[in-house]
Amino acid sequence: MRLAPVDYLIIALYFAFVLGIGWLIRKRVASSEDFLTSSRSVPLWITSLAFIAANMGAQEMIGMCASGAKYGLMTAHFYWIGAIPAMIFVGVFMMPFYYGSRARSVPEYLRLRFDEKTRTFNAVTFAAMTVFSSGISMYALGRLFQLVLGWSFTASVLLSAGIVLAYTYLGGLTSAMYNEVLQFFLIVLGFTPLAMLAVHRAGGWEGISSRLPAMMTHSWAYTYSPSANAMGVEVFGLVMGLGFVLSFGYWCTDFLVIQRALAANSMTAARNTPLVAAFPKMLIPFIVIVPGIAAMALMQMNVGYSLPPKGSGYDYDLTLTTLMASFYPSGLLGVGLTALMASFMSGMAGNITALNTVWTYDIYQGHIRKGAPDSHYLMVGRLTTIVGTGLSIATAYLAQLYNNIMDLLQLVFGFVNAPLFATFLLGMFWKRATGHGAFTGLLAGTGAAALTHGLTLAEGKGAWIARLHEFPSTMAQNFWIAIVAWTTCFLATIVVSLLTRPRPESELVNLVYGITRLPPPEPQARWYQRPAVLAVVVGISCLLLNIWFG
Amino acid sequence: MWDLRLPSGLFFTLIGLILCATGLAGPTHPAPLTEVNVNLYAGAGMLAFGGVMLWLGLRRS
Repeated sequence: MRLAPVDYLIIALYFAFVLGIGWLIRKRVASSEDFLTSSRSVPLWITSLAFIAANMGAQEMIGMCASGAKYGLMTAHFYWIGAIPAMIFVGVFMMPFYYGSRARSVPEYLRLRFDEKTRTFNAVTFAAMTVFSSGISMYALGRLFQLVLGWSFTASVLLSAGIVLAYTYLGGLTSAMYNEVLQFFLIVLGFTPLAMLAVHRAGGWEGISSRLPAMMTHSWAYTYSPSANAMGVEVFGLVMGLGFVLSFGYWCTDFLVIQRALAANSMTAARNTPLVAAFPKMLIPFIVIVPGIAAMALMQMNVGYSLPPKGSGYDYDLTLTTLMASFYPSGLLGVGLTALMASFMSGMAGNITALNTVWTYDIYQGHIRKGAPDSHYLMVGRLTTIVGTGLSIATAYLAQLYNNIMDLLQLVFGFVNAPLFATFLLGMFWKRATGHGAFTGLLAGTGAAALTHGLTLAEGKGAWIARLHEFPSTMAQNFWIAIVAWTTCFLATIVVSLLTRPRPESELVNLVYGITRLPPPEPQARWYQRPAVLAVVVGISCLLLNIWFG
Repeated sequence: MWDLRLPSGLFFTLIGLILCATGLAGPTHPAPLTEVNVNLYAGAGMLAFGGVMLWLGLRRS
């Protein structure tokens, strides 16, 4: 892939704008809350677009396009059932407690609702996970640019991380979120032409359907048995594992996304954040997954497009960039690459700002130094930005050297995350749940996840204890590990809660359903601004997509 | 309060102008798989988007 001066001009213009936005917002940071929580002042259209942009890292764009090429339209389940229902749930049912409790972070909610040890467990694993995932995605970006453009790994990693560091250091969460919105527009406008050109060249949706096995262009029709689809999953594992446990575990409890909603300027705006975000979210498959499917059709057509081979198949991770090289002339190619960088930056800034808040408020203020003046915590927040970026860069280099350690860490974090939604569900909707119950449940769920992995085999992975069962794919294995972990955590939390002393109801106001008086819709909110109305419209739209592309 | 619509409107207007100019002049490296003048069309799209954002931002202030 060769770049022309105009491509570099576009990349430079983008850098100038994101840094400029950070520079303009720096004046709005006067306290630690300004820096770490935006002091609950951000309008809905920004919070909702930042909510999905923070989740749309470069790995997601590259990975979803690759999955589209490998598995076909079933990849859309990661959006249509793996995100939308959970986004509706968190907006309608959970946000009143997150926002109403005035917790500054998700771990802080756990301290208010349960106890210190549950909060600390969540805060520490979350902090480690954010550093790890921003490092991994930095590694992916550096490697991709090295491969495709011949840029040096160190230069791409340091430049992109340096820019994120600069604008986050200057303006904190507000700056990160405002930039995420600009990045979101760029991602959509930069990738949409690619989807249109690739689909058009492959003969439209009909041309694609006629050239590929029917499994590639349906999302539900081939899920009746794991052997009927390339993903190797069946309906129950898909709906319960991905659609319930993994999806609700991520969208309803991960502070990376919840933080954006908590920055909203009113309760209604906070509740509407994931609901409004759901509209663009359910359309993203058309600009990232569909081009991947079109790429497979183009390969059947002998028009000169092909993916580089890898092992017995293809190197699917290069689908997005090879498509860009085939369809984008210089000029738009610069925009496409900038969009890829923008997605990396929005994901990384999401991780860094979430890490700042959890480290400063949940770990530093909670355990290392309580009761310091606010200016001290503002300084700690700023320093965390630098240290967190440094650790992410170190992780990226570690990933380059030791791929196996990274696989292992990814696995371990998967174990930690899977049971989390059971803890929140019981915490918010069952007043009898106790801190000891929640903590034991989390440990038991994490243990059960590890045990399931140790006892089952899939594509040569797992079964390090004994081999009791074999899954047709690692995806099916992941879904079932999540189901086991969630169920174990759910049951263990209930049993231990019933055996331990409950907290008095007076302490649970604003934290638990049934004791809290739910906020009435604000009188000035029009009918279409009500969370319930939005939720119904989102739900019906998503259902229609599932039926249409079933 | 500071309005994001102005800088993002300006950004996409500039990118749109650059793309349209490249589209009219002809790209340095054409795309192998398409004959369509994508720079011109995508540029016009971004120019329109940037223009709407600027108009919305300016109208308020």
